[in-house]
Amino acid sequence: MTTSSEDVLLQVPQVKYKKGDGTLFLMDSRLAWMVENRDTVAVSHLYADIKTQKISPEGKSKIQLQVVLHSGVSSTFHFTNRNGAQAQAQDRDRVKELLQNLLPKFKRKVDRELEEKNKLLSTNPSLLQLYKDLVMTEVVSSEEFWAQHASQYTQKKNAQSQEIGVSGAFLADIKPQTDGCNGLKYNITADIIECIFKTYPAVKKKYVEHVPAKLTESQFWTKFFQSHYFHRDRKYAESKDVFTECGKIDDQEMKKDIQNGVDDPLVDITEFDDKFIDEGYGTQLEKSNVGNGTVSQAMIKRFNQHSIMVLKATKSKPPENNVPQNGIEPKQQVLHPNGAVPATRTLEESNNLHKSKKQRIHEKISYDDLDTSIDCKQNSIAQLNLSKVERYLHGPMPGSAIEHLSPNDVAAASRNMHQELKQWRSRLPTSALVSPAAAVGALGELSPGGALMRGFQEQSLAQLVPPDIEKEVRNLYLGLCELLSHFWKCFPATSQASEQKLVKMHEALHRFHSAKIKPFEDKLIRELSPLSHNLTKHLNQLLNAAYQKFSTWQKMKMNHR
Amino acid sequence: MDEEDPKEYRWETGYEKTWEVIQEDDDGFLEASVADIIQKSKRKRQALKQGHAKLGMMRHLYIVIDCSDSMSGQDLKPTRLLCTVKLMEAFIEEFFDQNPISQLGIIIMHNKRAEKISELAGNGRKHAKAVKALNRTSLVGEPSLQNGLELALKSLKLLPSHASREILVVMGSLTTCDPTDINVTIENLKTEGVRCCVIGLAAEVHVCRHLANETGGTYNVILEDSHYKDLLFQNVDPPPAAVCLESSLIKMGFPHQMATEGTEDPLTMCMCHIDSADEGSKLTTGGYYCPQCNSKYCELPVECRSCGLTLVSAPHLARSYHHLFPAANYKELPYEHQSAICFACQKSFIADNDKQVYECNNCKKIFCTDCDMFIHDTLHTCPGCATNLATFQMSHSSQ
Repeated sequence: MTTSSEDVLLQVPQVKYKKGDGTLFLMDSRLAWMVENRDTVAVSHLYADIKTQKISPEGKSKIQLQVVLHSGVSSTFHFTNRNGAQAQAQDRDRVKELLQNLLPKFKRKVDRELEEKNKLLSTNPSLLQLYKDLVMTEVVSSEEFWAQHASQYTQKKNAQSQEIGVSGAFLADIKPQTDGCNGLKYNITADIIECIFKTYPAVKKKYVEHVPAKLTESQFWTKFFQSHYFHRDRKYAESKDVFTECGKIDDQEMKKDIQNGVDDPLVDITEFDDKFIDEGYGTQLEKSNVGNGTVSQAMIKRFNQHSIMVLKATKSKPPENNVPQNGIEPKQQVLHPNGAVPATRTLEESNNLHKSKKQRIHEKISYDDLDTSIDCKQNSIAQLNLSKVERYLHGPMPGSAIEHLSPNDVAAASRNMHQELKQWRSRLPTSALVSPAAAVGALGELSPGGALMRGFQEQSLAQLVPPDIEKEVRNLYLGLCELLSHFWKCFPATSQASEQKLVKMHEALHRFHSAKIKPFEDKLIRELSPLSHNLTKHLNQLLNAAYQKFSTWQKMKMNHR
Repeated sequence: MDEEDPKEYRWETGYEKTWEVIQEDDDGFLEASVADIIQKSKRKRQALKQGHAKLGMMRHLYIVIDCSDSMSGQDLKPTRLLCTVKLMEAFIEEFFDQNPISQLGIIIMHNKRAEKISELAGNGRKHAKAVKALNRTSLVGEPSLQNGLELALKSLKLLPSHASREILVVMGSLTTCDPTDINVTIENLKTEGVRCCVIGLAAEVHVCRHLANETGGTYNVILEDSHYKDLLFQNVDPPPAAVCLESSLIKMGFPHQMATEGTEDPLTMCMCHIDSADEGSKLTTGGYYCPQCNSKYCELPVECRSCGLTLVSAPHLARSYHHLFPAANYKELPYEHQSAICFACQKSFIADNDKQVYECNNCKKIFCTDCDMFIHDTLHTCPGCATNLATFQMSHSSQ
């Protein structure tokens, strides 16, 4: 019995399956049920096969647990503990919890991939066709197929989603809608949620803590909008909101930033004060009343805070690709977490700051357009050095094939031509240029099907080909094109890996030839004899070109050795 | 005639008085001043063009079109987006006409994201179809210039070094909402040698000016739709080669009709339509066969799907010559009865109408304004020089 070699994690007696009494065993890799008083396992399901489990709802008289497999088969177990419904429910809950813990471990990741692959195949008919042609006939193995030929499809799904910026008005854009009875409805999309998290990292922390453990997502967001944190008159000290902490954290951040100050020596923040022109054109600074503490002050503070946080949201991402920080902007230096301006700035950084400060001052005081000493852009364009321009304008001169005429001959020919033209007085429509028989003969040759228009015959022949044959030919072309593109990509074969791939592709081409094309040709010969040669001639030519290339490459390799 | 109060707003009158825009000059002739500006700038550009400049001929251009809220503005009739789409279709056609061996790709920016609606390819019709479909996109959100540029840079980075990499941005909005610092992106573009040109539809924006200056491109803001067309078509000419553009030998194939032994041409399928869902390949006899691998294609130029060879025909390459060896600029002269008729179109000069005539420095023939524009934009050959064998060869070698 298999049970001897496996660990039994849980054993539940008095479980009915299909009206038979028995015991349910949960082993470490499968679920088994044995009929009472018997030794054989009647039902056994590997955890890997189980897709989900279901339990009967509370209040039902029958306490049941159903196990659904990937294949769709389901088994229902009825818990019939003689000690009553509660004991049955306990039994069932024990089983349920154990399964809940075990199933995720066995959930085959491969299954998910298979599902994805199936989806890809069903949505892309051409890919499906390729799969059928190449993998079913064993021209290319399945892994190779998914790695090489279908790679563009699998990668399309993994295309990185783009980061989006935070616009300053993102909160204002969530226009609330009244739902009739004094309530407000806020519609927030995933984009807005992402913006909120980016701008207010404290809210993100709260979200991670509370959802899904304590609150559901909709509850969380309802609380968010209700909280005074969101509204403009924040008197949060009183209420015990989830978000009061966020407000406090924000305030702390603000204080830190104010202490840090601005690194850039060219920016003077005091310039932003309100100034107005007084009598006599002198400016007078408006004295700010510090003791105002009113709603307007709080609102201004909120506005500034919001703007600062939006700006910080863009800078918080570390720069990618290791772009050297000190060249771009001095402000991009990472703010130290301890709040103090880094006293130990490296010499290099301070030099750069010094240099860029000079540069910026210089930029502000000079205009390129007004400076006459700046060269026109023209001179910086690269010039072509062409030695003999005529060679580009005429085709290759064959040399001896030209007749050399002396200028006299040319003049004489020209004069004769003029004489001839003078005699072309009138051309009567009735003067016959060609004999009627010759004209009719020429017309006949030039109409479709004639001696000079042979192409049309083949066109009409194309219409004779039945559509299913045409489709098969198309599929052959599709498969061959795919294989050939990989084959030709291997040239020039520089590395060991590409040489190996080349040999493999060559073999694949041979296999394709024998597996798909030859049977098709045979079929054609049996069914449509006149066309058979024509339809596959081009395919064979394609293959021959590839074979030839391979053999020349092999010869060259031999010669090198 | 109703006297209206000059202070009334336009919306109050209920209809637009389009005739107010047109102004008369002293003689009573209508002269739209914008057209004048366009003409002058065209002439200036023409004068700057000179032969023997190294140009980036194999161009890989990404067009990044703004599809945000601001494109539904109606200052360009009927909306900015529809006007842009129409001009783009014309641009695509002209681009492939003048640059047959180049490739084009189209990206749109909307809702703070960028989306590639057409991959980099040399087939004009596919792009025109994709652009026409833009009429139905929803214009929502703000554009993200950084996302658009990054998306274009991702594929431009992979191109070989002899290809000229360009981005053309059509920006209708005055703002851009970016995830991180756009200066980093601009630096990356500069190191990769990508030339970015921007056409603004609203007003000048500092970040666009910075982008264009850093990457060596141009930035212009349109005045109206004819000016827009002119600015757009400025990008049809190949730009001067970037400094990091390396010269290398490029392998190209010149396809031929298949050599047949015997009288029958075989029926073959083309590789260009082999996996297209709507019109699959058909069995036909005609087509171009790749010299390396023998696959068939319906049209040129194309890149062979099996062996990766660029297939062109000789006239395609010859088209590029016109940029390298442009026709010499004509000298502008005031009309003093040098000749009674224009040499090219045989139109007789009227002293009052035609104030300027143009003289070719080589063959000394006189041309009118229209012919001058036509010769330098489209024809690329001076008719006077071309019909005189002695001067024809001289005209090119003396440059």
